[in-house]
Amino acid sequence: MSSHYESSYREPLILGEKSYHDITEDIARPIEGKANKNWYIAFYISLAAMLWGFGCIFYTVGTGIGVWGLNKNIGWAWDITNFVWWVGIGHAGTLISAVLLLFRQKWRMAINRSAEAMTIFAVFQAGLFPIIHMGRPWNGYWVLPIPNQFGSLWVNFNSPLLWDVFAISTYLSVSLVFWWTGLLPDFATIRDRAVKPFQKKIYALLSFGWSGRAKDWQRFEEVSLVLAGLATPLVLSVHTIVSMDFATSVNPGWHSTIFPPYFVAGAIFSGFAMVQTLLGVMRKVTNMEAYITRLHVEYMNIVIILTGGIVAVAYATEFFIAWYTGSPYENYTYLSLGAEAGAYGWAFWSLMIFNIIIPQILWIKKLRRSFIVSFLVSIAINIGMWFERFDIIAIVLSKGQLPSTWWRFEPTFVDVGIFIGTIGFFFVLFLLYARTFPVIPTAEIKTILKSSGENFKKQRAENNEH
Amino acid sequence: MASNKKYWQSVEELKESSIVETLQKNEFVEEIPTDEFLGDKETLESSSTSRRDFLKYVGFSTAAASLAACEGPVRKSIPYVVQPDDLIVGVADWYATTMSDGFDFANVLVKTREGRPILVMPNKDAGADVNARVVASVLSLYDHKLRLQEPTKGGSAVSWADADKEIIATLNSLKAANQPVVLLTGTLASPSTEKVISDFTVAYPNVKHVVYDAVSESATLEAFEAMYGKKALPNYDFSKAETIVSFGADFIADWQGGYEKSYISGRKVEEGKMSYHVQVEANMSLTGSNADKRIVAKPSDQVFALINLYNAVSGENLPSKATPIDNQIKGLAKNLKKAGSKGVVVTGINDKNAQLIALAINNCINSQIIDTEAVNLTRQGNDTEISQLVADMKSGKIKGLVTYNVNPVYSLANSSDFTEGLKKLELSVALTTQKDITSTLTQYALPAPHYLESWGDVMTTKGVLGLVQPTIQPIFNTRQLQDVLLKWSGSSLNYYDTLKEYWSTNVLGGKSWNQALHDGFFKTDVFSEEEVFESLVNLSSVATELTKATQSSGYELNLYTSTALGDGKQANNPWLQELPDPLTRASWDNYLTVSMADAKELGFDNPVKDNGAIDGNYADVTVNGVTKTVPVMVQPGQAIGSFGLALGYGRTENLKDEMQVGVNAYPFYFNGNNVQYDVKIEKNESAGWHRFACTQVQKTIAGRHDILQEASLKDVLNKNLDPKHTWNQPAMVSYDHQEVEAKTIDLWDDHNREVGHHFNLSIDLTSCTGCGACVVACHSENNVPVVGKDEVRVGRDMHWLRIDRYYSSKVEDKQAEAKMTMAQFKADNPKIAGKDIERKYTEKVLELSGGDLFDALENPAENPEVTFQPMMCQHCNHAPCETVCPVAATSHGRQGQNQMAYNRCVGTRYCANNCPYRVRRFNWFNYADNNEFDFNMNNEYGKMVLNPDVVVRSRGVMEKCSMCIQMTQATILNAKKEGRAVKANEFETACSQACSTGAMVFGDVNNPEDKVAQLKEDRRAFHVLDYIGTKPNVVYQVKVRNTNEA
Repeated sequence: MSSHYESSYREPLILGEKSYHDITEDIARPIEGKANKNWYIAFYISLAAMLWGFGCIFYTVGTGIGVWGLNKNIGWAWDITNFVWWVGIGHAGTLISAVLLLFRQKWRMAINRSAEAMTIFAVFQAGLFPIIHMGRPWNGYWVLPIPNQFGSLWVNFNSPLLWDVFAISTYLSVSLVFWWTGLLPDFATIRDRAVKPFQKKIYALLSFGWSGRAKDWQRFEEVSLVLAGLATPLVLSVHTIVSMDFATSVNPGWHSTIFPPYFVAGAIFSGFAMVQTLLGVMRKVTNMEAYITRLHVEYMNIVIILTGGIVAVAYATEFFIAWYTGSPYENYTYLSLGAEAGAYGWAFWSLMIFNIIIPQILWIKKLRRSFIVSFLVSIAINIGMWFERFDIIAIVLSKGQLPSTWWRFEPTFVDVGIFIGTIGFFFVLFLLYARTFPVIPTAEIKTILKSSGENFKKQRAENNEH
Repeated sequence: MASNKKYWQSVEELKESSIVETLQKNEFVEEIPTDEFLGDKETLESSSTSRRDFLKYVGFSTAAASLAACEGPVRKSIPYVVQPDDLIVGVADWYATTMSDGFDFANVLVKTREGRPILVMPNKDAGADVNARVVASVLSLYDHKLRLQEPTKGGSAVSWADADKEIIATLNSLKAANQPVVLLTGTLASPSTEKVISDFTVAYPNVKHVVYDAVSESATLEAFEAMYGKKALPNYDFSKAETIVSFGADFIADWQGGYEKSYISGRKVEEGKMSYHVQVEANMSLTGSNADKRIVAKPSDQVFALINLYNAVSGENLPSKATPIDNQIKGLAKNLKKAGSKGVVVTGINDKNAQLIALAINNCINSQIIDTEAVNLTRQGNDTEISQLVADMKSGKIKGLVTYNVNPVYSLANSSDFTEGLKKLELSVALTTQKDITSTLTQYALPAPHYLESWGDVMTTKGVLGLVQPTIQPIFNTRQLQDVLLKWSGSSLNYYDTLKEYWSTNVLGGKSWNQALHDGFFKTDVFSEEEVFESLVNLSSVATELTKATQSSGYELNLYTSTALGDGKQANNPWLQELPDPLTRASWDNYLTVSMADAKELGFDNPVKDNGAIDGNYADVTVNGVTKTVPVMVQPGQAIGSFGLALGYGRTENLKDEMQVGVNAYPFYFNGNNVQYDVKIEKNESAGWHRFACTQVQKTIAGRHDILQEASLKDVLNKNLDPKHTWNQPAMVSYDHQEVEAKTIDLWDDHNREVGHHFNLSIDLTSCTGCGACVVACHSENNVPVVGKDEVRVGRDMHWLRIDRYYSSKVEDKQAEAKMTMAQFKADNPKIAGKDIERKYTEKVLELSGGDLFDALENPAENPEVTFQPMMCQHCNHAPCETVCPVAATSHGRQGQNQMAYNRCVGTRYCANNCPYRVRRFNWFNYADNNEFDFNMNNEYGKMVLNPDVVVRSRGVMEKCSMCIQMTQATILNAKKEGRAVKANEFETACSQACSTGAMVFGDVNNPEDKVAQLKEDRRAFHVLDYIGTKPNVVYQVKVRNTNEA
């Protein structure tokens, strides 16, 4: 990744008077220094939420799924909503690190490490739900095609849930390997800088013996490209398969061929929103203002407008087609007048407002370059995308094909507790990551310093080298 | 394990260099006191245990010790030392017997396993008509909580011998003093018991036998006596009827014992006949919901309308009043006259004069439907004698009282008088199966056996007898009424011998006792008597009296018995408590049913909560100065100004906490009259909200009419109409630009059905009355757990089989407003095809009347038509559940069933979400052996009812209807053992077996002689949600209404 020439009219991606050494210092600081009070406060709150969530999970596993608000007609609600939500969030990481790598988008360098960390941590959360939503999670390994002595029992390859198992586990492993590969030179930097022997030892282990030879770099670049190539289809496949949990069913509102592309767009939409949320906090907390700039925020907002637009078109299509069928069975799908007028009207409008209406303000350049606006919009999208999944699952199931089976869902404290618990768990992981991992790919970002660093650009401008 | 090999650790050691020795010596700085520690050196040296072996032993023994510490649960099973002759372990024995508890009478077959009854089914050879309570009665046998187990005196145990001695002594002293003693029983309808009682009254001439029915038909008995000279109920053969007019008589359910089977026999479309049934009623009853035409009228209007009908039919002019339904009554009179002797009028108003008018109308048209010879003997209670008894007890005139299986303290309106009277008695004995409130107030409480532990006979209709035989050794220290009376009258005989002798001398007429016992019923004409009776009834004074007694001002309360609890005898039966009412679909409750208009006026509402449950306001109901706070359920079809309330609830004494639900309505049941006038009803604001437990929330079908196809009799009988294009349209899809039937298009390969059986279940929606017997039978056969009110409330009932109820929607009301009928719209728009017509019509009508589509489709009409649809697993040939299960726990069977492997299920619930019929039930908790669910699966007695052929499911697994695979397999194995093919119509499921009306027919469509094979191809056959292409093995028959007339 050589530093290509970049026009000085383009905004710099690295602000301030930074040298290579400054970058190393900036990124290593949170790892080598002591955490501030804010970090501890955030960590303990997250830890408390996580422990509460674990308590709720133990209660569920020990007592039965009945401690949730589900019933005979609504077999999934918050569990699978949270699952799809977390998986969706996990999408941005791979997109940023793999797809943008292939497209040679330099701005991804500031955010890809954290986006991928977010992906992995989000997939952890997502992976929890399919396991704990089972009535008998202790038999959960039965969904794996492992040779067994139960007779000739084998998994059902027709089931989208089984596809999920493969899709999610593949995604997790490829993401993890990709992430780790990128981390190797940076871990090595930390190792080399470490003064405490224990720390040195740990980072030595983590860096897999990176020596910084030209051969190392060559292999690193090759592996990165190969993994990016491998990971790119996963961006499409994972949420396509998740959407098939619904699309291959026979429920009006779920049984929809538009679901795969629509879900993928929605996932990227929500993933970028979550990246915005996290980075909005992180750039302040870890003093990375120089690396995560307005330009980054604007680029991400553009992706958000694009994918949000796809999502909006998908909603409109769903709404129109349901009405156009003239089938009384489509009267109450999650995007229909029936849903709007029904008991879940508030959820319908939450979806519309948070997901469609609010993001439209990003069309205004001033607003999409504002950190605070971006942060608030990203929160709104996170909420909206949660409602999208909730609406798809709960509204559709609440209005089954036989009107005698119409019912409603109300979460219990356990439903809420587990969701909050996963948020806590996610932030515990993320906060630990922020203290122990180089949050910006140090080696990579250095490659664009000369081409896109503010001071270098200024120098070039002074020298009239446009 | 010891090894004799020698390992050297280094070359130096091999060379035996001195360095090694030195080092070895210096290995430990200090000498380790191994010798001291290990003791005897010699034995140690001779042992071959190396260090490694030692560690192996330690590891193994630790593991073994810890494994041994985790002891598995011990289940003791005791084998027969000597196997009884008539019992093979694992093979069910069936016995024919007869249920009679004073309210429910039925010839039944009882399935026993290893000496315990586990299932009660109708004895179809005897033409039995069973309801949910009869099927559920087997669980009441094992009700250790409510059943009286030991004789008690003043609450403490006493032996039978001591009790006998003391009671006989008291009886004798009372006899000597000629003090009156009353034997108070429910309707026994048992000829041999009547003989025993009359012998007893010979031994004790001071004893009088009084019959008490909690739910009284006394007025009918009196009316019939006045008209025909016999104290009995007339019998009806509705199967031959052409026109049935009922004024508030819920004859499909509990009215005079129920006539469900004979009614439906007269409505078999395939036989080309169908009675025209008009129901004039206030409460929305099971009968009214099955009627071809339902006219809403409050009870007082019913009374006047009845007289008006008499006037119109007879041409006489009895005094009456005008009613809002007089126009319709005139039409009815025409219908009745046309039907002539094939017409019949019945009324459920428990007033002698009203009953006389009804009898007079039947006389007038010379009805052949009513049978005044072979009379109905299932209700014999005498209200006059009861009120006399209570008065005499209160005044101290009566000195002794022996009750048998009645609970007057609970079920009398003036029970406080009765309780007061009880205290004045010298002798009070309650012989009872239940520790009810009456038995706790009497001096002696003596345990009587359940009918499944008893001998006896029952004559429900004159000349038709049923035999009662025990199907289990008495569980508790019980003795039945007849034996008690024989003992007290000093007889040395036991009842069994008495019964046998009575039958051989009086009934059998030389026929075999064993055969009669085997059949469970016996028909004879020895009881028929020819007598001429001159009726002295003056109808005009009857009508005058009736008009005077009927107050038409103020609210009217119409008490009824609910499908689940009846008169309340089985209130501690969890299966019945959990059985939803067929109309409101509320379980575990009774409530005041209020019309939509009155609800609006009085401010009552039934909001649906966020968790899907229904709440209700409370009302203060005051009748004759008695006030009770009752929850309210708004009921479409309830007559304005009238209110319904079910009897049989609100029992508390010795009931499980969970079963102490509802409000006791008996205190309103003054003079045994189910209609109370001048009732005050007010909203009770301070009582807050009542929490109902309904199994269905949505009331209408929301425009999805292909779910439940309906047709008129005229269309169905018209052979020129092609049902596929008119009244039974299949789902169509576009395929290669051609409209073809959805079922011809297939994504999947068909299952190979060439060999073996292929099971189908046919459900005739015309014959299904919604009675719920199948629901309880399914519970009983398949060990379906009871989950309790709180869980039902949040939509977690476990019913494998449910009966969906749909009201016709508000569109009906709107069409009246818009003055456009569907037929007219159809005629105007011949181009609109098929199912679109409904929608287009609705839109058109709404446009005309300015209504909202969702409101009109979702909310029921003021007086809706009702349809019932039993719904269970449809056993789809292309089942959506099968494809989505990740572990293949549910898959298709060779015989057509969709099978559920509980052991394999991990509980993702995906199958339930993808089931368009929503028939799959998830075990949210452990329902067995769990104190949170303290029902029959949580105690050793209750577990005796479990079917050993069906596994009890653990928590976290999905379950659903299996098409009773344990029954079909047993049938196949039996045939195999007997070396024959399975006979036609030999297969049964619990629901089809329990269905008295023949609505459910199960069988093998691969056997062309099976009834179901033809039904599957019937003109009326359709599949629910056929547009999805699931190809179910459950086939429904179009609901037909006889709307030709009127």
